[in-house]
Amino acid sequence: MEKSLKVLLVEDNLIEIMKMKRTISLLKSKHTIHEAKNGEEALQFLEDKSNLPDIILLDLNMPKISGIEFLKILKADDDLKHIPTIILTTSSNQKDLLECYRTGMSGYVLKPLKYEDYVKKIETVLTYWSINELIKI
Amino acid sequence: MREEIEVLQRALERERFARKSAEKILEEKSRNLFTISRELKLTNLHLQQLLDEKSSVLEGIFENINDAYLVIDLQGNILKMNDIAENLFGYNLNEEQLNFTDLIYESDKEYTKNSFITLKEKGSLSNYTIRIVTKSNKIKWIQINASLLFDRNKKPKEAQGIVRDITAIKELELQKEKILHQLEKSNEELKEYAHIVSHDLKSPLRSINALISWIKHDNLDKFDENSLKNFELIEDTLSTMDNLISDILEYSSADADSSNQTKVDLNHLVLELKKVLYIPNHIAINIKNKLPNLVGDKIKFQQLFQNLISNSVKFIDKEKGIIDIDVQDKNTYYQFSVADNGIGIEEKYHKKIFKIFQTLNKNKESTGIGLSIVKKIVNLYQGDIWLESYPQKGTKFIFTLKK
Amino acid sequence: MKGIVFTEFLDLVEDKFGLEMVDKIISQSKLESKGYYTAVGTYSFSEMLQLLQNLSLNTKISIDNLLLVFAEHFFSVLVRDYPSVIASYKDPIEMISSVESHIHVEVKKIYPNAELPTFTVVEKCNDYLSMIYKSGRAMHYFGLGLMKKTFEHFNTTAKIDFQKIKDDGTEVKFIIQKIT
Repeated sequence: MEKSLKVLLVEDNLIEIMKMKRTISLLKSKHTIHEAKNGEEALQFLEDKSNLPDIILLDLNMPKISGIEFLKILKADDDLKHIPTIILTTSSNQKDLLECYRTGMSGYVLKPLKYEDYVKKIETVLTYWSINELIKI
Repeated sequence: MREEIEVLQRALERERFARKSAEKILEEKSRNLFTISRELKLTNLHLQQLLDEKSSVLEGIFENINDAYLVIDLQGNILKMNDIAENLFGYNLNEEQLNFTDLIYESDKEYTKNSFITLKEKGSLSNYTIRIVTKSNKIKWIQINASLLFDRNKKPKEAQGIVRDITAIKELELQKEKILHQLEKSNEELKEYAHIVSHDLKSPLRSINALISWIKHDNLDKFDENSLKNFELIEDTLSTMDNLISDILEYSSADADSSNQTKVDLNHLVLELKKVLYIPNHIAINIKNKLPNLVGDKIKFQQLFQNLISNSVKFIDKEKGIIDIDVQDKNTYYQFSVADNGIGIEEKYHKKIFKIFQTLNKNKESTGIGLSIVKKIVNLYQGDIWLESYPQKGTKFIFTLKK
Repeated sequence: MKGIVFTEFLDLVEDKFGLEMVDKIISQSKLESKGYYTAVGTYSFSEMLQLLQNLSLNTKISIDNLLLVFAEHFFSVLVRDYPSVIASYKDPIEMISSVESHIHVEVKKIYPNAELPTFTVVEKCNDYLSMIYKSGRAMHYFGLGLMKKTFEHFNTTAKIDFQKIKDDGTEVKFIIQKIT
């Protein structure tokens, strides 16, 4: 039985947020999405330890705190480092990929051009994580 | 009494004869001595001439070599130096005493101490490079080749050294290092920049695609066929744009990056490409001769063959497609060829196709960058690329790569 | 054999037994040189042998003892003529043990044709020395005399024994124990 996931989406692009929301409703899944427009907002959300997300979907290219910086802060925090964090990006930069793996990401998904392909990818990611046993505090 | 006299007479006789024989022996000896002394004098004269000759040769070398020459004692005191050394250091031994260690730049002193120990242990020292401070307070880089001089009992007495002023070379070297470092950094920045640009250009394409897709699906019953066709054209255009951005990124990162140099098995590489690339069933790829191993960046070799094979695949119009890959060993380089039986290229376009954004056939997969990347990589390995082609018959790309 | 050995020998005979004895042993020997010896000349060893034999016959003193006495005299000749060589030593054992390696080397410099005995050191420590003498002339008593005088010269005494390795005395082992 698939569990419903509490997902934190860290993304600054309005349309990307819309894409995700539409995907969730399209898939008729019970997952809940919390959105944060940047790293600061996401960290603020994560301060409430009683309401931590099951997974984080993270865009790499963001103003102020970049995705990689955010990932580093997350992985250095004993209360947060257990949360699986999946990178969503359009850039297949070898350097970024390497650095994210070193820092401790749980996945690296390239955003495809076509929306239909995007839906398929997100569905796969969410399905994968919903059949995983996750740590609940 | 008579007997005693006879004994004495005989004794006297012995003495007289002994004296005479002694005189004879001594005279002979003195004659010998005279001859020997004359020979010695001649030998001495000869040796003196030889010494003079050698001394003047050495003196000539000492004064005429283009490098500084100096002799120091084991405490480092300079005993002798030629004009060039005097000019280099700015000191004149006739006016002041000088110890070599006083010339050395402060932070090189420890290294010098160790080198001096090496010199004493091994008897010689080569290409030992340090900085010195001249009398006019100028810092100079010098390179020393030195050896010990021994006394009659084979004990080290002094050391002689040839000193070369390498300040100019060293400065150039440092400058080169600095420039290389800067170049590396700006290359890195450029690469990073290309990625950011690529990301920033691709993101809006994704947004547009999503929005178009939503408009289409949310209003499917409201659009006529013509409008739906136009939606498709928008999607194709977006796709072309997306490919273009990817290819530009690839092109811009196809620069020399010596950090990934390994031995690459090209035969294996092409066989792998055959599996990974999309090759329609009617096209056969043949490797005519086993491809060699080459040292270089594997990714670049991959890009090179991938682009050429894809290019051939794209332009094959025959029922049975053939792509032949071959190689010839030309001593200092290899000459490769990738030949297809596709539509061919007219000669007037042969030069043009390697230019960026030049594509002869407008279709959505073709951005006109693939062959530019190929040319860039071939040039990177000091090779050349050209083609033989006849319209309708096919095209043969020929390129060389340096061993 | 070097002339100085003959002249010194005859001087010693004259000193001890008189000019008549010198005259007598020369007359009794068949000498190629007719007895006209000079220190700078070189003469056959057989002449020395005849002179020794005749002296022994006339004096009833054994050749060995004659050689011993002659050696003791000859040491003083060496001290007189080559003081620097002897002064370079501080110890008799040192001096005797380096006969071959130093003193004979010096002799050869002055007389390249000199025929010298060999002395091989077998064992050596501060107050003990054993060495093997080898010479076709079997004059080990001459060596013994020189050794005795050497100890005397340094104001020391020693017990010097020898064993003949060959009966004819051409190879003899000296055993020297310094008495302290």
